Amino acid sequence: MDFRMTEEQELLIQSLEELLEREAPESLMAELDEKKEFPYQSWQALADHGILGLGIPEEYGGTPADIMTMTLVCETLGKYAFPLGIVYSLGMITILDIVQFGSKEIKAEVLGGFVQGDPPVALGITEPQAGSDSAALKTRADFDGEDVIFNGQKMYCTLSKQAKYILLMTRDSKIENPYEGISMWMVPTDSPGLRFNQVSKLGWWSVPTYEVYIENTRVPKKSLVGEMNCGWPQLMANFEIERLALCAASVGAAEAAFEDAAAYANQRVQFGKPIGSFQAVQHILTDMAVKIENMRNYIYKIAWMMDNDQPVRLEHALCKLYVARAAFEVCDDAMQILGGLGYTTDHRVQRLWRDVRLMRIGGGTDEIMYNIAGPQILKRAKKERG
Amino acid sequence: MNVIVCYKLAPDAGDIEVRNDGSISLERAEWGIGSFDLQAIEAGVRLAEATGGKVTALSVGPQKINNSKLKKDLLSRGPDELTLVVDEALNNADTALTAVVLAQAIRKLGAFDVVLCGEGSADLYFQQVGLQLGERLGLPTLNAVSKIEEEDGALIVERSLEDEVEVLEVPLPAVLSVTTDIHSPRLPGMKEILKASKKPVSEWSLADLDLDGAAKNRLETISTRAPKQAQRKQVLIPGSPEEAAQALVGYLKKEGIL
Repeated sequence: MDFRMTEEQELLIQSLEELLEREAPESLMAELDEKKEFPYQSWQALADHGILGLGIPEEYGGTPADIMTMTLVCETLGKYAFPLGIVYSLGMITILDIVQFGSKEIKAEVLGGFVQGDPPVALGITEPQAGSDSAALKTRADFDGEDVIFNGQKMYCTLSKQAKYILLMTRDSKIENPYEGISMWMVPTDSPGLRFNQVSKLGWWSVPTYEVYIENTRVPKKSLVGEMNCGWPQLMANFEIERLALCAASVGAAEAAFEDAAAYANQRVQFGKPIGSFQAVQHILTDMAVKIENMRNYIYKIAWMMDNDQPVRLEHALCKLYVARAAFEVCDDAMQILGGLGYTTDHRVQRLWRDVRLMRIGGGTDEIMYNIAGPQILKRAKKERG
Repeated sequence: MNVIVCYKLAPDAGDIEVRNDGSISLERAEWGIGSFDLQAIEAGVRLAEATGGKVTALSVGPQKINNSKLKKDLLSRGPDELTLVVDEALNNADTALTAVVLAQAIRKLGAFDVVLCGEGSADLYFQQVGLQLGERLGLPTLNAVSKIEEEDGALIVERSLEDEVEVLEVPLPAVLSVTTDIHSPRLPGMKEILKASKKPVSEWSLADLDLDGAAKNRLETISTRAPKQAQRKQVLIPGSPEEAAQALVGYLKKEGIL
């Protein structure tokens, strides 16, 4: 096993760290969070730096990159500017679906725009009655000549108002097996009949989320992404990468919270000495450090497995389950060490705490991760026993 | 316009350790491209981009400079090629020796229009090499250059001096040392980083330069010591501003400062 980064990865991450210090400083992230504004300027800086092109074919302006490199990028974004890490991670599933299944025309328009700094394509899957049970969706597509007309409602459609397109999932109710009746469409967000209602959330304030009402929204049939009624397996093809990316961003956030807590423990004097000199605080910091090390090892291993074409169905569920919890626990412990200061809105730890909490819900809840992992564990045990 | 940019590696200041006896340890220091040389590299790349031409980066030193990652780092920042003069005899080279070796390497590189150096090295900051190099090459030589523009085959440069900005026309070829505010160094992206490993690198030793015994250090470093760190007294003065000011004056008198 070789745990070292390649020289190219080291240089890229060093360069990205410097870019984020220049273009996405903590003061700006705090200000945008308070104003609930999307970090357009910092996002554009990532595009100008070529970060958004990673993993996108060169013919669309991208640069080849393996999943390990993209994981390191997500971790770094998460550490320096968590909202950028979220946006980048959310983009992975839709952008990579387009790379894999989009027509040439869609690729040229969407990938070309993304590489130049467009916000990522929003994913329209969750509906009021279809959350973890994604296949229960009801949004429908009806054909009219060369057009297709959509009707329905989407929930928790993050960035749908900022994005130029929604990757809209619809279902043909005439097909009994829902997994065989779902289709994927590229729908411009300025299409007539789309209405957005912003959802008020505990965190992710710079990354707005919307309910989307869809009434007789019409697009050409060529907006289909991939094959008709193959939307579900197409979406699943890149869900694991999105989860890994969200995990990596969360690890970065946990690292930031840890560094704040460790620095504060050295600096804050109570009872005549720094609070870090008390065993109670040292133990908390040590537990945090163990969790960060475990989380990093976990995400790097999954990235390595994916780069080496190994199946990660069980591993990614275990990783997501562990990282979502551990990252939040680290942020929570950081808040504990920072005491009253950590609970004030002046300090970024409260923001990380609010933002990272969603990781146990978004991208697949803890409970869904158990549902994925449990049967896989039993299946593997049966196989090993022969 | 063909540009040669000279640079020096330096230890990361944050990694320098001071031992108990005040001596300096660089054992754990990460080395990088000198922070003042990054601006020279950026200026060189911009000049070549604006006028058409190529940028050759040049560094001289011991084996340490022949570091694969640092070579990629350098080339990812825009230079088209890199030449290194690698020789253990160049370990801790003084400014005179560095200038002699750079000058001879530049002669060997062939035709060029301008040589750029940083304001000074990031470790010793003598600010001498650029000036000595120009003298060795017998070329117009300027330091404190904060702006460079090409005009009709010559360069119009600005020098930031204490009370004024001097604007000069410089015939080519010339040797210029640039200030840190000339340009903000670019940050290489993945494309540039991947391209860097494909760019040509030449490696010479002192023997390749026919220096005829001219390559000698003239400075002998006897020891390097960090100044003693005084413990801060960390006195907090309570009370109103007037009372605190009175108390502060008392403390300063007691310490013999007032």
